[in-house]
Amino acid sequence: MSQDMSVPMQPSKSRTSLRGLVPWVVFAAVLLLLPVVFQGNSTAFTLLNVIGINIVFALSYNMLLGQGGMLSFGHAVFFGLGSYAAMHAMIAIDDASYAGEGFWAHVPVVGMPVIGMIAGGLVALVLGWPFCRRAGTAFAMITLGLGEMVAAAGQMFPSLFGGEAGIYGNRMVGPQWFGLELAQSDDVYWFMAFWTFVAVFAMWAFTRTPLGRMSNAVRDNPDRLQFIGYPPRNIRFMIFIASGSFGGLAGGMAAVNYEIITPEALGLIPSGLALLMAAVGGLGVFYGPIMGAIVVTLMNSMLSDYTDASILYVGLVFLSIVMFAPRGLGGGIEQVRVAWREGDLARRLPGWLSGALAVGLIIVGMVVLVEMLFQATHGDDEFAQVLGMEFDAAALWGWLTAAVLVVLGAVIKRATNKLREDQA
Amino acid sequence: MLKSLFTFITASLLLVGTAGAAETVKLALIDPLTGPMAGAGQPALEHLKFEAKRINANGGIAGKQLEIVGLDNKVNPQESLVQLQKAIDSGIQYVTQGNGSSVASALIGAVGKHNQRNPGKEVLYLNYAAVDPSFTNERCSFWHFRFDANADMKMNALTTYIAENKDIKKVYLINQDYSFGHAVSKAAREMLKEKRPDIEIVGNDFHPLAKVKDFTPYVSKIQSSGADAVISGNWGQDITLLVKAAAEFGLDAPFYTYYGASSGVVTQLGDKGVDRIYQINEYYGDFEDPEMAKRQVEMYKETGWDFYYLRLSTMLDMFKKAADKAGSTDPVKVAKAMEGLTLETTNGEVVMRAEDHQIQLPMFMSVMKDDMKYGAEGTDYNFHKVARIEREDVTLPTTCRMRRPK
Repeated sequence: MSQDMSVPMQPSKSRTSLRGLVPWVVFAAVLLLLPVVFQGNSTAFTLLNVIGINIVFALSYNMLLGQGGMLSFGHAVFFGLGSYAAMHAMIAIDDASYAGEGFWAHVPVVGMPVIGMIAGGLVALVLGWPFCRRAGTAFAMITLGLGEMVAAAGQMFPSLFGGEAGIYGNRMVGPQWFGLELAQSDDVYWFMAFWTFVAVFAMWAFTRTPLGRMSNAVRDNPDRLQFIGYPPRNIRFMIFIASGSFGGLAGGMAAVNYEIITPEALGLIPSGLALLMAAVGGLGVFYGPIMGAIVVTLMNSMLSDYTDASILYVGLVFLSIVMFAPRGLGGGIEQVRVAWREGDLARRLPGWLSGALAVGLIIVGMVVLVEMLFQATHGDDEFAQVLGMEFDAAALWGWLTAAVLVVLGAVIKRATNKLREDQA
Repeated sequence: MLKSLFTFITASLLLVGTAGAAETVKLALIDPLTGPMAGAGQPALEHLKFEAKRINANGGIAGKQLEIVGLDNKVNPQESLVQLQKAIDSGIQYVTQGNGSSVASALIGAVGKHNQRNPGKEVLYLNYAAVDPSFTNERCSFWHFRFDANADMKMNALTTYIAENKDIKKVYLINQDYSFGHAVSKAAREMLKEKRPDIEIVGNDFHPLAKVKDFTPYVSKIQSSGADAVISGNWGQDITLLVKAAAEFGLDAPFYTYYGASSGVVTQLGDKGVDRIYQINEYYGDFEDPEMAKRQVEMYKETGWDFYYLRLSTMLDMFKKAADKAGSTDPVKVAKAMEGLTLETTNGEVVMRAEDHQIQLPMFMSVMKDDMKYGAEGTDYNFHKVARIEREDVTLPTTCRMRRPK
């Protein structure tokens, strides 16, 4: 799967020129501007903070899957254990600052992601070696087992993991740095923005190192790599440690944000979330998982306010991306960008736009269908509401509209297939 | 895709911007409303909405109309905190939750910190089903009120019933292998030892949480131990499959459970549960009180869910009584009025103990029967009362040292 989804990284043609800086300046500017846009809206800040955590989590996962070709179902282990380590450290800071002495009394909460990173890296260092002999199915199965094992252990050792209720701390303790009180979510935002930026930059820089290049090689052709004198296992092991460290860093950010961590955070569901975010965003493009993290977080937290079928939609988005756009959102953008750079855009645009129109129509039709089915079977409203319009599940015209939309979309897609094929 | 995403984001921001109208008071239910656990959250939401109509017809909460808002947390503690923030930002000052002590733990911490950091914008957390005893003991909080008996109180009532049943000589414990299951097992052993030292614990099993598909090996162990009774804190599929396996194996020992009547169990067990599965709860399925019977019939007709959560009705009634007494819906005033508040329910008087905010109430042992007057889930089965355990026999002391605002 990973090989179908991946596009080789574009080597930068101007490593030293200023052009390479542009995305980072834009990224920093966006991070600085967001608080102005959302001033006074704590929900927006809460969501932004979660998005920040998920961006780092998804990117660290993509180090394994997108860049190293290792499909993992246990990445939440590093996230969760990093989070537990940071939480224990936060509790130690709390205790030490009451006493006013000891090492922990001088550690700021702002530094918790470093603790998470060290913990995540150590766990990967200890556990990783036997896993990295093979990639592919064997690796996937072993990480699945690891995830289940650690999640089960989390429920069984309450002194360390806090049992079902988890362990909890207070982030407003210890020395304050940069005047960050960390009381409200808009205060926490600066902490998140800083660490997100640092982590994203560090992970991008990793792709430029020889090891980062080797990780692509081990993904594409491990036999040849062995042949020229680099044991794939060593390289996989090093990627595994790097990925685990950044997963732990995201966990440290989460510990400060939520001030609680429960054993569920180690399990299969958050591991699946990492895969979902990376795949939706696109495995082959560096910034793909960032987009995936934004979309998936918003869908998770907001969509259920509008529809009872929200989980179904998350599944459908994943399914349609894997089936129809295996390069993900980032891959799509990259395609447009490459076409534009090569002066090809005008020629390709009609095909793409008609395709987008067709997909859009099919999606709206499907949504109307799903909502009406939901209302017809066990809804409490009489009408299914889609895009401000009301569809009556009892009347025929609603079903007809849905069918017409889907058929129309399919027809447009068929009719314009040629436009896309010619230029592919 | 991008366009729909854009409209979706603007729509969500617009939603966030609108605060509640002046004459309503909103109560947010933060529980699983979608996905595999929706069967636990949806009936609570429907129950709250159903009872809110009655409250509003009787003058509302301190003159304001009560509005129930459902927020989906997918039983995830972290997601619950995001939903809590959403609730707070839309001007909601009352939240309720029940499924999962992990979520409750997160909410108690978050609400406490929010109230400490935002004086004047306090939020109250009304807990209707998270039973970890620590929430009203060492972790007790002024901002948390529990309307369900905690796990130890339930075990206290359950063992009182068993202690009076002289036929029971050998007891088998089977529980899920995580903190809650271990707590149930520990409480059962301690309380039985104190109340009936002659009872022998012939087995104490823990099985993986929500992973066992076939309980036959466990059931055959129970059978060969010669147990007269089984105690289990299992919930969800773990209780359904356990009792099903017992019925198919031909094990006749009764199962004394915490959650034997939760939604879906009756339908899935059918005849196999009759006279086999017992539940300790604050209510049962006879509906002798015509008023309660009326609500059961109406609610099932309107929503397709049973009138199962009597404690949600108790919670709303106490909320109304406290707010009316305080003459305000300010959470601090309501919380102060709620302390020590008594309420006359269909089961007699219940009281919200001031020291730890733990409700004190009588409990009932009931057993699944066929041909009941008011069947559960559209069947003819429901839980028939076999014993009432008085408030004094349910209550337990607390270690709580409550810190109250000035």
